Amino acid sequence: MVSSQAGSLVLENISKTFPQRDGQGEVRAVDDVSLTINEGEFVTLLGPSGCGKTTTLRLISGFELPTAGRILLDGKDISNRPPNKRDMAMVFQSYALFPHMSVSKNVAYGLRIQRVPGRELRERVERVLDLMGLRGLGERRPNELSGGQQQRVALARSLVVEPRVLLFDEPLSNLDAKLRVQMRSEIRNIQRRLNITSVYVTHDQVEAMALSDRIVVMNQGKIEQIGSPEEIYRRPTTRFVADFIGRANFLEARIERVDGGEAEVELLGQRVRVPVTFAVSAGDHLTAVLRPEALSLREDATLAQGAVEQAMYLGSSTDYVVRVGEMVLIVVETDPSAHVVFREGQTVGVTFEPSTVHLLPPG
Amino acid sequence: MNRLYPSRHIAEFRRIFQDPVLFIGLVLVVIFVLIAILSPIYAMVDESRTPDGQELFDRYLNSPVYRTIIVNTLRMGLIVAALGTALGFLLAYVQVKVDVPFKRLIHIVALIPIISPPFALATAVLILFGRNGMITQGWFGVRYDIYGLDGLSLVLTLSYFTVAYMNLKGMLQALDPALDEAATNLGASKWRIFRTVTVPMLIPGIAGSFLLLFVEAIADLGNPLVMGGNYEVLSTRIYVSIVGLYNTTAAAVLSVILLVPSLLVFIVQRYWISRTSVVSITGKPSGVSQQIRHPLVRWPLFAVVMFVVLFILLIYGTIFAGAFTKILNVNNELTLDHFDFVINGYGSEAMKDTTQLAAIATPLAGLLGMIIAFLVARKTFLGRNALDFATMLGIAVPGTILGIGYLLVFNQPNEITLPLVGTIEIIPKLTGGRAIFGGAGAIVLVYVVRSVPAALRSGVAALSQIDPAIEEASISLGADNFRTFMRITLPLIRPAFLSGLIYAFARSMTTISAIIFLTTPRTKIMTHQILNEVENGRYGNAFAYCVILIAIVLVAIGVLSIAVGTTSGAERTMEGGA
Repeated sequence: MVSSQAGSLVLENISKTFPQRDGQGEVRAVDDVSLTINEGEFVTLLGPSGCGKTTTLRLISGFELPTAGRILLDGKDISNRPPNKRDMAMVFQSYALFPHMSVSKNVAYGLRIQRVPGRELRERVERVLDLMGLRGLGERRPNELSGGQQQRVALARSLVVEPRVLLFDEPLSNLDAKLRVQMRSEIRNIQRRLNITSVYVTHDQVEAMALSDRIVVMNQGKIEQIGSPEEIYRRPTTRFVADFIGRANFLEARIERVDGGEAEVELLGQRVRVPVTFAVSAGDHLTAVLRPEALSLREDATLAQGAVEQAMYLGSSTDYVVRVGEMVLIVVETDPSAHVVFREGQTVGVTFEPSTVHLLPPG
Repeated sequence: MNRLYPSRHIAEFRRIFQDPVLFIGLVLVVIFVLIAILSPIYAMVDESRTPDGQELFDRYLNSPVYRTIIVNTLRMGLIVAALGTALGFLLAYVQVKVDVPFKRLIHIVALIPIISPPFALATAVLILFGRNGMITQGWFGVRYDIYGLDGLSLVLTLSYFTVAYMNLKGMLQALDPALDEAATNLGASKWRIFRTVTVPMLIPGIAGSFLLLFVEAIADLGNPLVMGGNYEVLSTRIYVSIVGLYNTTAAAVLSVILLVPSLLVFIVQRYWISRTSVVSITGKPSGVSQQIRHPLVRWPLFAVVMFVVLFILLIYGTIFAGAFTKILNVNNELTLDHFDFVINGYGSEAMKDTTQLAAIATPLAGLLGMIIAFLVARKTFLGRNALDFATMLGIAVPGTILGIGYLLVFNQPNEITLPLVGTIEIIPKLTGGRAIFGGAGAIVLVYVVRSVPAALRSGVAALSQIDPAIEEASISLGADNFRTFMRITLPLIRPAFLSGLIYAFARSMTTISAIIFLTTPRTKIMTHQILNEVENGRYGNAFAYCVILIAIVLVAIGVLSIAVGTTSGAERTMEGGA
C-alpha cells in the first residue's frame, strides 16, 4: 500500500479488466498497479503494445473506470470523478484537434469552458501560441498545418488551461524521426519551465529515457520496474526490463564468493566483483547482464576466443554477433580508435568493462 | 451468452448519472422507444394471442385462400427483391466503374423514388400500360392487363431499387482500387476481376439489399391497393380487415403472419450480413479506380441504363402531364383545375396539415437519431445494443403493423391507478377524431418512429469516421457531454444530420401504410387523399397532389440544406490530424 499523503498523483492498487470479445471471461489490462507521481515530476509509462500503459493513462484521465483500486490527486479520491472534472489535460496520439475550428478556437476551447473573460482569454491564447512557435497561425484550420504544427497546437491547447496534470498518449508517434527528436526536447523544456506534473505513455525507450525523471516499465498489466532512466538501464531488476530497454547479453553466472555487498563471479574467463543488493550465497546460479557497448573485441589470444558470425558497419559504430562456445553475444564497438573492422568468420578475443556487469535478482 | 458483471454495469450507469443532461437524454430516448415503438408492436402481438386470435390463426393457416395470399406475398417479395437488387447493382456499377456520359442524370433519376409519393408510380404506369394504356393500347393496340403480379413487380421494383443502388454504390466506391490493380497486375482480365474480386466483395451488400427490398415489398400497401387487382397480398388483406370489416383481431393475426418474415429478414440482415462484410471502409481510398472503357462493355451497358432512365423519366413525365391535363389520354386539354382543387379547394387542408406535421416530426427525428447514434456509438451501458435494435424496429416492422398497434394502444387514454393518488392519465387518447390535436399527435409520433432509424444509421456511420479522441479531447479540456455533443460531435456529423432530416421529411410526406389507419376527419394527410382520388378514378387530382407533394419536399430539402449547412467545415480531414 502506498501512502496517500506523499505525491500529487497516487494510484493505489489499480486494476482494470475488460470483457473478452466473445463475452467469455475477462482480460486483465491493468493488474494491481500502485504508483506515486510527485509534484512537477515527469513520469513515463513504457512498455510493449498491450502492456497496459495506455489503459493506465486512460484510468488516470477518467476515460476508463478502474475495476478495483483508488486514484488520488492531492490526497483526494478522484476515482469516480468524471474526466471533465479532473483538472487534467490530455495530448492525444492523433492530436485530436477540432477539425471544424481554427487554431485559435482550438486553443481557446478549454478557456471558454472555464469562462475566462475575453481579454484575458485572448492574451493567454496569444501567449501560448508564441510559446509554441505558432505565432501568426491562429486563423488557420488544423488541416492547413503540417504534422509538427498540429502537434504544437495540441500541446498548446492542453497547456493553456494550466492543468494540474498533463497527460500524453504517444504524442510523437505520428511524426517523422527528425521532428520527433526536436519535439521531444521542446516538450521537455516546456515541462521543466512550467513545472507541470506529467504522465507520458510511449513504447519508444529512447523517448522515455530522453524525457523522464522516472520511467515505469510495464509488462502484461503489471509494473516491472520504476526508476530513473539511468537506474532502469544500468540496474534492471528483471530480464524483461534489461531486454526491453536497449539491447542486452545475458550470461550464466555462478557465484564464487560473497564478500560484503559484493559477489564474485566468473565471466568470459575473467573474475569480477559485482555489487549486489539482494541476498546471495556462493554456489548460486544467477544471470548477468552485459550491455553490447560494454564488450569489445581484440586480437588477443589471452582473452576468451570467439568467432565473428556477423559484422555490420553502421558508421558511428560497428555491430558484431560473436559466438563464444555455446553463447552468442552482441558486441557494439563504438571506440573511434578501433579502426579495424573484423571480418565474418574471423576468430577474436572478447573482453568487457568489469564495472558495467549487473546481476539480475533470482526468480 | 453475455455474462453480467454487476459492478461494472453499476459503474457505467453511475458515470451516466453524474452527467444530468446525458442521463435525461438517455431516459427520454428509452421512454420514446418503449412508448412509441415497443408498446404498439407488443399490443398488436398480444391482440393476436387472444382466444379469438388463436382461432383465426388456425383458420387462416389452414385455409387455401389465405395460403394463396401468403404465397402471393412472399412470391412478390422475392421477385421485387431480385429485380430491384439487379437494377440497383446495374446502375451503381455503371455509375462507379464504367466510363459513360450523363452520370449525374443517372444518379438523380436513381434517387427520384425517395421523394416520390405512393400511388404516383402505380397510377402513371396504369395510364401508360393499363387496359386502355397510352402505350400498350395506343401504340401497340394490345389490351394488356397489367393488374396483378406483373404490374406490382414493375412498380415496386421502380419504387425501391434506390435502396440497393445507394447501398451498392457506397460499397463500390469504398472498394480499394488497389485490389483491382493487384488483380490486373497478376494478369486478370476485367471480366475476371468482376467475377472474382468485385462481386465476391459485394456479396454482403447484394444480400443486404435483397433482404431490405424483400421487406419493403411485402410491407408495401399503396401499390397493391392500386395495382393488385385479384392478386391479393397480406398488407391489402390487413387494410380490408380494418377499413372494411372493422376487425382489429383479424388484422392483428394477419399482421403477425406478415411480421414473421419481416423480422426474420431484419435479424438475418443485422446479425449475419453485417458481420460477414469484407469491405473495409477506411474513408481514405488509396487511389482512383480505373474505369472500364472497352466499347463492347461500355456502350451496351450505357444503352440498358439509358433505357431504364428514360423509362423512369417517362413515368414521372406522365405524372406531370396528368396533373396539367383534363383527363390524360382521354381529353388532353391543358388545365389548372386539379391544382386549384388541391391548393385552394378540398385538398388545401391536407396539404397544410401534412406539411406541418412533417415539419414538426423532422427535427425531432433528426435530433433523436443523432442522440441515439451518439449513445450507441460512443457510450457504454447495459442495453446499448437493445436500444439500437428497438429503434431499428421502427422501420423493420411493416407500416400497417405499426398503425394497428397505435390504434390498439392509443385509442383510449393510458392511465395507471396508484394507491392514495388515484387514477392518473399518463398518455391521453392519441388516435381517432376526438383525440387531442385531432389525432395529429399519433401521426407525428409515427412519422418520427419511421424516420429515426435512417437518421440513426447515418449518424452511426458518420461517427465511425470520426476519431473518438476528438470528443475525448473536448472532455479532457473540461467540457461536459452536452457541450461536447453540441459543439464538437453535432457540427462534425452535420452532413449526416442533414441527410437524416431530409430523409425524415421526405419519408413523412410520402408515407401511407403506417398512417392510413390514423388519419381523422380533423387531420387529413395528403397520401391518404391521393388514395381516395385514385380509388375514385380522379387521376388528375391525384397527380396534382403528387406534383405539389414533390415540390414541397424539394423546397424543404433546399430550406434544410441552407439552415443546417451541407458541410461540417472539416471536409479535408475528419481525424483531427494528418
